[in-house]
Amino acid sequence: MTWLVWRQHRNQAYFAAAALAAFAVLLLVTGHQIASQYQSAVTACVASQTCGDLANVLSLGSPVLTLLVTLTVAVPALLGVFWGGPLVARELETGTNQFAWTQGISRSRWLTVKIGWVMLAAAAWGGAVSALVTWWSGPENALKHQNFQPGQFDIQGIVPVGYVLFAVALGVTAGTLLRRTLPALAVTLGLFALLRIVVAEFLRPRYMTAITTAYNLLHPVTPRGSFWQLASGTLGPGGKVQSFLGIGSAKIELREQFSAHLNQVIVDRVPPACSAYLHGVSPLPAVACLTRQGYRGFLTYQPASRYWAFQSIETGIFVFLAVALIAVAAIAVRRRDA
Amino acid sequence: MMASSDPAVIQTRRLSKRYRRVTALSEATVTVPEGRISALIGPNGAGKTTLLRLLTGLARPTGGDITVLGGTPRQNAAFLSGVGFLAQEIPLYRHLSAEDHIGIGAHLNARWDGTSVRRRLESLDIPVDRQVGRLSGGQRAQLALALTLAKRPRLLLLDEPVAALDPLARRQFLAHLAEAVADGGLTVVLSSHLLADLERTCDHLILLAKSRVQLCGDIDTLLAEHQVLVGPAKDTTAIERDHTLVQAVRTARQTTLLIRRSGPVIDPAFEVADVGLEELVLGYMGQVAGAAPAQLTSIGEDQ
Repeated sequence: MTWLVWRQHRNQAYFAAAALAAFAVLLLVTGHQIASQYQSAVTACVASQTCGDLANVLSLGSPVLTLLVTLTVAVPALLGVFWGGPLVARELETGTNQFAWTQGISRSRWLTVKIGWVMLAAAAWGGAVSALVTWWSGPENALKHQNFQPGQFDIQGIVPVGYVLFAVALGVTAGTLLRRTLPALAVTLGLFALLRIVVAEFLRPRYMTAITTAYNLLHPVTPRGSFWQLASGTLGPGGKVQSFLGIGSAKIELREQFSAHLNQVIVDRVPPACSAYLHGVSPLPAVACLTRQGYRGFLTYQPASRYWAFQSIETGIFVFLAVALIAVAAIAVRRRDA
Repeated sequence: MMASSDPAVIQTRRLSKRYRRVTALSEATVTVPEGRISALIGPNGAGKTTLLRLLTGLARPTGGDITVLGGTPRQNAAFLSGVGFLAQEIPLYRHLSAEDHIGIGAHLNARWDGTSVRRRLESLDIPVDRQVGRLSGGQRAQLALALTLAKRPRLLLLDEPVAALDPLARRQFLAHLAEAVADGGLTVVLSSHLLADLERTCDHLILLAKSRVQLCGDIDTLLAEHQVLVGPAKDTTAIERDHTLVQAVRTARQTTLLIRRSGPVIDPAFEVADVGLEELVLGYMGQVAGAAPAQLTSIGEDQ
């Protein structure tokens, strides 16, 4: 059976291997350049004691490369559509399943070997891309603490492998149930995108109870490392969240931005006692007044230490769904008429 | 060689298959003894493909019993290794070569005779290394037949196998099949909507029309059971009572009856003649079709 799978898909395999090799060369070469650029920048800023500002002044790599790496978020969907979707649907469409299913081998075995190899290949391919991206993004992660942020979280670490397994399983199952390649592709794409968005938007922030800290507006705090900020703002004297957000943010030093913010957004909501300070050149008196009135800043976030726990939970969810989908496909192949 | 004591390779009882609202096969009771080449005849849409797919286990019945090679058609290696099936659309992997298919067969079957396929393709001048999609329709059909035979099955189920072949290839193929059966241990069911294709080769008949089995049995027996009566235009109630009337053609002066005999015909007014296979098949098909040509009056009951 493995022999048949290889004969059927070897051209795809060669193409995929070539594409991966090209991507690997590109990332390895540019990744080394970026790493050394980052190293020398760090050495220089340590010497001049200006490292605090490094994230704002140093830009690594080229926008094109960054875009390419960001686009690897589409890898699972592509594998689901091009490897998963046609795996069974193409056979049902062309009738070749009637040839395969009347050889001396059970349908279960036929499906198991086919799915087994395509999942293995997809996981290896997706895992290799993700490993390259994770390594390539190392300096950027160190510089901007970005790898817990939505978008980066989704293309680094182990979650891409979970997405790949799920997407391929979804493609196989959609193709098995719909018996047509094109509708299966559309359904795979639609459902995959929907589920990814739902999980990232609504489930991921709740994997563990987020930490909320309150702080003095004049002395904003920033958690260590690559934390994931979920919410921030200002608490009133009674502890209620105020609608004028951002006062206590780290941007307090950026005077223009801050005062523009005050003038445009919160002028009418600031307590009367402090409104006199709003029209000054510096925002600091206004902030000091708010602090005296009992206003405090707060930050809700997932700490950097939870990064791998979150990666594992999300991977687990998608692997579980992949297994469930494959069970559905297996039942359909066994039970349904050819 | 043919004996009524031959064990049944195929035995179905009131076998039915419904797809949602459509009934593809209704209460089909069929017996095919070992060593037969059975012609599965019926107009398009009569249920031939459905019956073959049920026998292979590619489809599951919605009613009735089915026994093939002593067991229920199932998706396991033990059952499938005994059955060779060729679907009507000749499904092969279009971008793989004949050689690839021989390899697939070798990997998926415990018993496999790849040499026979190569020899057959060589004798037919069909290239083994060309993509199947680039072979002609006839060449593809020959390859598929050779692959099906390479399994060395005990039961061969072929859905419209000669449709894609030219007349010469058709004759060669049927001769090839007859040889394989003569070697022993093989039973064949092959379908066609044309009797003429198969008449020469087959010794058993299953006639399907309107999703029902109209006739099933050894051709010699079926022919012996039926007779044509030709006589004057007169009341035939007595004959219809004693025998099963299949078809009656009445003109102003003459009555022609096709009957299934239950004993000797004793009405001296009628001339009794043997029936030909084509006449028999057309008689049963006409019975189902109802009002065939205008001068035909068909009477009869469902089997």
